[in-house]
Amino acid sequence: MPGLVNEKARIVSNDQVGPRLHVMVLEAPVLAKSIMPGQFVHMKVPGAPDHILRRPFSIYARDVQACTVDVLYQEVGTLTRFMPSLACGQEAELIGPIGNQWSAPARFADSACTHALLVGGGVGAAPLFMLAESLRALGCPTDVVLGAQTKDAIIARERYESLLGFEPFCATDDGTYGRAGFCTSLVEERLAQGCAYDGAPYDYLAVCGPEPLMRIVAGYGAQAGVYTEVSMEKRMACGIGACLSCVVDTVDGKRRSCVDGPIFDAAKVVW
Amino acid sequence: MRKPLDTQVNMEVDLGGLRMKNPVTTASGTFAAGREYHDFVDVASLGAVTTKGVSLNGWTGNASPRIAETPSGMLNSIGLQNPGVAHLASEELPWLRSIGATVIVNVSGHSFDEYVEVIGSLDQTGLVDAYEINISCPNVDAGGMTIGTDPASVERVIGMCRAATKLPMIVKLTPNVTDITEIARAAEAAGADALSLINTLLGMAIDVERKKPQLARYVGGLSGPAVKPVALRMVWETYKAVNIPLLGMGGISTGIDAVEFMLAGARAVAVGTANFSNPEATVDVIDGIAAYCERHGVKDVNDLVGALE
Repeated sequence: MPGLVNEKARIVSNDQVGPRLHVMVLEAPVLAKSIMPGQFVHMKVPGAPDHILRRPFSIYARDVQACTVDVLYQEVGTLTRFMPSLACGQEAELIGPIGNQWSAPARFADSACTHALLVGGGVGAAPLFMLAESLRALGCPTDVVLGAQTKDAIIARERYESLLGFEPFCATDDGTYGRAGFCTSLVEERLAQGCAYDGAPYDYLAVCGPEPLMRIVAGYGAQAGVYTEVSMEKRMACGIGACLSCVVDTVDGKRRSCVDGPIFDAAKVVW
Repeated sequence: MRKPLDTQVNMEVDLGGLRMKNPVTTASGTFAAGREYHDFVDVASLGAVTTKGVSLNGWTGNASPRIAETPSGMLNSIGLQNPGVAHLASEELPWLRSIGATVIVNVSGHSFDEYVEVIGSLDQTGLVDAYEINISCPNVDAGGMTIGTDPASVERVIGMCRAATKLPMIVKLTPNVTDITEIARAAEAAGADALSLINTLLGMAIDVERKKPQLARYVGGLSGPAVKPVALRMVWETYKAVNIPLLGMGGISTGIDAVEFMLAGARAVAVGTANFSNPEATVDVIDGIAAYCERHGVKDVNDLVGALE
């Protein structure tokens, strides 16, 4: 396993893309090259010395040529509410690449993943995008379900559409775009109908989003007999496996979401 | 992987019989057994690595959420999750030995006997340079702080540990007492070679939107820069009360922070929470102490100890 780096990363842009949603682009040549789908970075946010902990962020996209990584973040606490005020040129620090990877590309190589369904709830759409890119490049038929509170919050829709060549299946809680209600009904439907490409049953399901969503979709996956992976995020201090803050309950005991995850076999998670 | 810069200053210290190549170790529980940080700092170049608290058999620790960030600090209630002393001895300590690290093992227990049994299972391995007896963890229902707040219990358990080993024995004190010097004197009387202080301060944080505690266990230990003035005051008080050397800790993130502790009476210092935001914090602190000494014409870092005027 290649070692971790703590890379100084200049902020290239930091733009609002939806309600309480922002994309920060950072110049990080080492991480832009090395990070793999599912892995994340642990960011020291500049200009906030009272916040002594880093924050974990998944990588929404990377550009190896431009040496940049994109981080999609939502304002949820005092630090993420502060982050939109950061200006271009300020320097963050990113520890990475941390954690394991979605297993779909490896399973594709073993013919164990032939039809994939990716389910992203809210900002959970971000860490699935690099996986979608990777599956697309391999030629694995891949469908995407996105859920969000409202139309303006399904920010990843266009990126997925331009990647896939067709629109992802969308649901909004308030019915302003796509199916009205939670995206779980779309997942049920997809599992019943099979892959939009050829109607074949899915044999790989990846979910990232709020824990209740992941729990419900993991249940559907188990019912349908589809191998399901979830990306777990718990409050984290060190981010590198030392502090045991971010543990997830699994059938194998408590596992660190940072380095034993963040990707877990959903069948092993004790919800 | 960073190492400390070369310096003309003598950085070596003796902490109750434990020779350290510089006065900086890690605070137990923030550094695992060092391996996780070895991409960032050469853990063999630290004065010592203090390992995560270990008990006889594994402990699963507390429910999540286990941490919460607070202004200039954090609360934790990990609850001494660890895989047990056999795992430490077979999987972690040999690696630390192989890279030449100086090793302090933090010893935990549910009962007095368990402390002794942990020491007993490590003492003949040759993989340990010193013990830190943890009678101060605020996050467990038995053992930990329940012992370290009562002088009679302290004397008894430390006396039992003393009889179990000839290696240097550091006793880690809790700040959650009315008078820390009373506990310090009890540990000294029972045969401690050194004292480490402070463990975390018991605290709490609440999510008002949900009307729920931020930690699953409601309360946890506060650490980070927020506790530094309290820690410094307790080191200074304890320095005046005992004759054994002190390992100071509590919010140290720079060399200047460390120098403050040494001037207050600490022979050595530990870097804890700072490792989380800065994985090179240990080496930054070593370099910062040396730079301070060079700037002030101090040739031997030991000259800083208790040099408060």
